[in-house]
Order: sequence, then structure tokens, then C-alpha cells
Amino acid sequence: MKKTKIRTRNICFQYHKKQILKNISVEFPKGEISAIAGPSGSGKSSFLIVLNRLWEEIDGVNVTGKVEIELNGQMQDIYSGRIDIRQLRRKVSIVFQQPNPLPMSIFKNVAFPLNLAGLKDRERISREVESALKKVHLWDEVKDRLKEDGRLLSGGQQQRLCLARTLVMRPEVLLLDEPTASLDARTAEAIEQLLIQLKSRCTIVMVTHYQDQIQRIADSHFEVVNGNLINR
Amino acid sequence: MAEIFGKTPVPGSGEMGKRTLLEHLFTIAALVSAVLTGAVFVFLAVFAIPLIKNGLFFQLLFSNWLPQQHLYGIYPMLAASTMLASLSLALSFPVSLFTSFFITAVAPRQLRMVLLYIVRFMTGIPTVVYSFAALFLLVPLMRAILGRGSGMSILTAVPVLSLLIAPTMIIFFVNSFQRIPSSTILAADSLGATPVQKVLYVIVPQAWPGILNGLLLGLGRAIGDTMVSLMLAGNSPTVPQSLADSARTLTAHIGLVLAFDFDSMEFKSVFVSGLVLYVSTAIIMSIFRITSTISTGRRK
Amino acid sequence: MINKTLERSVIVLSWAAASILVMSVAILLGFLFAKGLGTLSLKLLFGSTPPLAAITLRQQVFDGLFPAVAGTFLLVICSTITAIPIGIAGGIFMAEYAGIRQKAFFSLLFDILAGIPSIIIGLAGLSLTIFLHRLFPGRLGPSLMISALSLALLVLPYLIRSTQNALESVDPLIRLTAPALGASRIQNVVKVLLPNSMADIIGGIILAVGRCAEDTAVIMLTGAVAVAGVPHDPLSQYEALPFYIYYISSQYGSPDELASGYGAAILLLALCTCLLIFAFVIQKRLVTLLLYR
Repeated sequence: MKKTKIRTRNICFQYHKKQILKNISVEFPKGEISAIAGPSGSGKSSFLIVLNRLWEEIDGVNVTGKVEIELNGQMQDIYSGRIDIRQLRRKVSIVFQQPNPLPMSIFKNVAFPLNLAGLKDRERISREVESALKKVHLWDEVKDRLKEDGRLLSGGQQQRLCLARTLVMRPEVLLLDEPTASLDARTAEAIEQLLIQLKSRCTIVMVTHYQDQIQRIADSHFEVVNGNLINR
Repeated sequence: MAEIFGKTPVPGSGEMGKRTLLEHLFTIAALVSAVLTGAVFVFLAVFAIPLIKNGLFFQLLFSNWLPQQHLYGIYPMLAASTMLASLSLALSFPVSLFTSFFITAVAPRQLRMVLLYIVRFMTGIPTVVYSFAALFLLVPLMRAILGRGSGMSILTAVPVLSLLIAPTMIIFFVNSFQRIPSSTILAADSLGATPVQKVLYVIVPQAWPGILNGLLLGLGRAIGDTMVSLMLAGNSPTVPQSLADSARTLTAHIGLVLAFDFDSMEFKSVFVSGLVLYVSTAIIMSIFRITSTISTGRRK
Repeated sequence: MINKTLERSVIVLSWAAASILVMSVAILLGFLFAKGLGTLSLKLLFGSTPPLAAITLRQQVFDGLFPAVAGTFLLVICSTITAIPIGIAGGIFMAEYAGIRQKAFFSLLFDILAGIPSIIIGLAGLSLTIFLHRLFPGRLGPSLMISALSLALLVLPYLIRSTQNALESVDPLIRLTAPALGASRIQNVVKVLLPNSMADIIGGIILAVGRCAEDTAVIMLTGAVAVAGVPHDPLSQYEALPFYIYYISSQYGSPDELASGYGAAILLLALCTCLLIFAFVIQKRLVTLLLYR
């Protein structure tokens, strides 16, 4: 029997009083890739930010319902007042559709989450950054220009940079919003392979609109229809 | 790695509730600024309350300034401020509105930017520089035209004050015109509207909160200006009978204060002037805030 | 037909309004420069005193603008140093921490503070002085310190607003980046939002500096005088360029003094214009500098 990693109950999502998602109750199994499809603007991305409470940073959003995620081996209600929201977002972390490197060097971009977490050991940071960049197959392209501004990379490189920046935190759940939309076919395939490798360590919830991608790598497949999430 | 990121979500460490010292300082800074705003008002009010209680306040507000007869009323200044501000606004508003039409639609493209730069430059011209130049250019001219008096009069101050408040209004108008959603303008374009028609029938009807706001700020600046009226209007503390008369505004009256004794009647009259100015600008700014809320509400 | 006439008259009136505006400014400033350009020289600043001796404060300048320029300089420094930390911190609170109701309340207060005539700020400063004078007889009077504090209050709302606007206009995606990586709110503010809006914040500061430099109404009530020399003590009275211009306009005793008034007006105008241009340029330059550093 599959173990459940994420369980939502009656999730409703409102943006400026407009109902985007209603009464979503789903379960995502541990160690699998779950794909969410649906027309653009249907609220796929909104659903992702419910799972790590990132919507709380956006004005005008209101969410009700319950989300339980298995963390440290036990199911926890992430909306209970006892949850440390920073730790939650490190363990349930998101990569956006549009790459968002910060205006700092490539190295500092990837080291940024470690810096936020208060890690000071430079040697260790270098090691972590290198291994994260290798995982996303970016290391060979950038190892000689780590001091350059991250925003000077190409779109595909930026996207991989952002993925590396997330992986450096060793998340338990990876939320991906159209992860290969800005990549060329070869890089996209490499990323897909990487996601399959990551399954052993991460549970992945991925928004995508490529049917063939869903066929290739997804273990289960959901679709947003009229604000509801339906298992296909 | 686990030790850096901790044992994830640990019960009992709700971090969002706690604020760091620095964050408390942000709140304190905002509070201090707010308290200072209030303190200025309290300063004025503490003085005015006893005057209101014994009826002196309204007596000061509505009587004349005749120190020899122990009359220290600010009615002449009130009248002068009202006249000067409303005349300047009446002169400056049409000029500003049409200049912003010019910048938005009428002028050839290169000229629009040039004029916008000139207007921005005008916002940086110190008031005292305006007044100084006008004092030696306009005042002798007025003296010659009127054929009497010093040449310092309401009529002298009005054009300079209009020039002073124009850039504020123009920038506000132009900004509010440019905030009209491009879809609306595109709709007008597809109907073959000329630039002037767009301004008249599409932009102005939608941009009225911005126009009103610019007008309010212009009025606030006109009432609040000290140097133009102090240097050009003549400062005579009598109710002006004509536009060619010398007059003293409330701001100039405060600027001319010579008494340093809280209990003197001169000082009390200065405080009443201050309170009147404070209350009227507070009312203007409150309306400004309400219309800003309306205009941002409409944009969403 | 009526509409045609209306549209034509709008075109004509627009040209007329713009020309009137530009011509008025050109005439006023042209007059100023025609009268004052000839006075611009080192002599205007230092009179008969050797410039080096004046700048190093070894010799006092009695017949030049140097003390007024120095006074304005010190005044601007003291007031912006006081206002900047409070203004920026207040702006951060408004943009990042205030709830909807708090925001509306504080916004109204800061709008009022921004709208109060500067002479009232001066009056408040004067009252404070008289009050302090009663508490500590003979020690405190109108002075550089009181003027600087009053001017700080005058520019406070500008600083708060410009900081708030700068922070609120950070790209929403950049705004979400750090929280998604486990940043606390303060980490997001310090490490991402402030660096990303620095150009606009500095632009706001420069405009505030210009406001401090040009204001006359506040300082005439709080300590600026015609003759004081270079201020040595924050509790002493001082000279300042805008006050000098005002003073000369009514009290000039000789054509030479009047000429120095024109010179002072041109100096102040140049100073404020430079600050304005600087603020304008820095907002564009800094963005590009940050992009390619």
C-alpha cells in the first residue's frame, strides 16, 4: 500500500474575494511524481502555494481548509499555530514557472537559502552549492563564472539555477510550476531524468500542461476543472 | 544538513509571531512620526483651547488687527489668505490643465518630453528664488501700472503663486491621465479618435479623481506658501478692498511674529492663525486621501 | 459642429497655456541671470578673505556668502541625518508590516504632515524653543539644532512615502523569492527588498535634501539670522542661503549687497537643480549599476 505524503481537506482559495479553488480534498502518495494539469488561469499554481503557505505573503489571498503533510515521519497539520513557517517552506519548497534569480552572483544565489538558515561554514557552503549545481547539470556551464550576476544567464540556465537553489535545502516535498516551460528539449529531458532520480528522496507535485510529459514521468495525474481537482 | 534546517516543523516554535528588535524599531519609527504629527497639533491646540473656552478664539478670528485699540484679530489675514489662494488656483488651474493636455496629447512627441522636463525642473526651483526675482521684476512693474502704492499687492503675488503651484498640479494631472488603462485608450483608437478627442471624451471623464487630487494639492500649497505672500503681497494687516491692495496672509502673519512671550496677544493671534492653517490643510488632505482611495479602487 | 469648435479651442488653449507657463519661468529666471551672472565669482563667496583661509576656518568671512553656504550645508546634513533613519524605518513599516487599517490611519497622518504649511513646522519649532528656554533659562534659544530638528520633521513624510513606494513597487516575483526559500520577513526586507529598491530610496533622500536646502519659512522662525559667521556650535544661531536671499530682498543697503542677493539666488537655484537632476539620474543609473556589477 502506498503511503500518503500530503493530504488536503476542503481547500478553498480566494483572490480578492474571487473563488479560484473550492473544496479540494486530495492525497498525494509519498515518493511519487504527481502531475496537475488544467487550462491556464485555472488555479493550478494557486494550489501549489497552499501547500507551503506561501499565499500568506500575497495581499488579497484567503485560504480555508486543512493540509496535512508527513514531516519527520509523522503527519502534521501545517496550518496549526505550532508550525515554524520558515522550516515548513524549506521542507516543502517551490520553484516558480518564471525563473527568479536574485540580483546577486550565481554562487550567492544558490548559497542564499543556506545563508538565510544561518550557515556560516564557507567550505561547506561551497560544497553544497557545487553538488546542487551538479544535480541540475549546470555546474559545467557556470563553474568558471560563479561570480557573475545570475540574471545574465539564459532562461534555461536561470531555471536550472532556481531549481538548484531549492535543492540545496534538501526539501522533502518539491513543488514545481511548469518546470520545463522555459527549457530546450535536451535540457528538459535532463531535468525530467533528474526528477525521476529525486523521487527516492522527494515527493514531487508538478504543474504542467504537456500531456506527453505527464505520460513520461508522472505516477498520478490530476486536473483542475472548475476550481476542483480531479484524479484522472 | 538536517541540523542546519532543524527538525522540520518543530511544534512550539511559531516563529512568525515573534518580531525581532529591528522590526520593533520599524514600528516605533512609524509611531514616532505619527506622534510628532499629533504633537504639532497638540502644541497649537493646547494654546487655543483656553482661548476657545473664554470666547477669545472667535473674537480673534473675526475681528480686525488694530493693536493701538487692543484688537488683535486675524480676520484680515484670513480674508487675504482666502483671496490669494482662490485667485491663484483660479489662474493656475486652467493653465495647468491645458498644459497637461498639451503634454499628454496636443504637443508633437519630442516637445512633450521637453515640457515634462521643464515642469519637473520647476518643482525644484526654491520659492524664495521665485519671490526674489519677482520682487525686483514684477513689483516695479506693478507700481508703474497701478500708479500708486509700493507695487506690492495681491495682484503682484497671484501670478507668482500660480506659477509656484502649477508644476504640482501638472504632474498630478499628467500621471492620472497616463494611468487610464491602455485597453480603454485602444478602444478609442480603434474608433479613429484624434488625440484631442481621446483626451476630451475618454481620458478626462475617467481621470477626474486625479484632477480633483491635483487641485487639492495645489490649493494646499497655495494656502501654505509663506515666501511669495510675505515678499510680494505687501503685508498690510487690513482687509483688502481691491486686488491692488497690500495684504497679509495667515502664513506671512506667522512669519512676521516678533513676540516671544506666550502670554502676549500678538503671540496668541499667531497661534490661532497656525491652528486655522493646520485644520484647513488637514481637511484638504483628508479629502485628498478619500479621493485617492476612490481612484485606486477604480483601477483594480 | 460644436464639437469641432470645442476640439479646436482645446488645441489653441493648450498651446497658449504651455507657452505662458514656459515663458513666465523663462522671464523670471532670465531676469535673475541677467542681473546676477556677473556677480558669480569666488569673491561672491569669500569677499576679500583668502578662500583657503576661509574654508579652513582660520579667517572669518565678513563680506561673502561663505558663512551662509556653510550654514545651509550643516543644516542639511544635520536634518537629513536625523530624518533618514526614522523615515526609512517608518517607510519599511508602512510597506511591509502595517495592516490594512493601520496603513490607512498612518497614511492619513503622514499626508497631513506632508501637507502642513512649513511655517507651522517653524512655529512648532519656535514654541519648542520658547518652552525649552523657560526650562533652561539662558542656555537654549533659536539655533541650528532647533532648525535641523524642525526641518527633519518637515521632510519626514517625504522619506516615509518614497521608501514605502519604493518597497511596494518591487517585482512581486522577487518579493516572493526569499520567503519561498525559508526567509523570515525581516530577512526578506534586509536581504532582498531593500537592496532591490535602493535606487528609489536614495532618489527620495536626495529630493528631501533639496527640500531642506531651499526651505525658508522654517528656518526664519527657528534660528537663521543675517550675520552669525560659520556656526561652531549646534546651539548657536547661523546663516543660511535662503534666509540671506530673503533678508537682502528687504534690507539691502547698497547695490553691492543687492548684487550678492542675486548671486545667492542663482547659487541656491543651481544647488537645488543639481540635486533634482542627481536624484533623477541616480534612479536610472543605480538600476543599471546593480544589474552589471
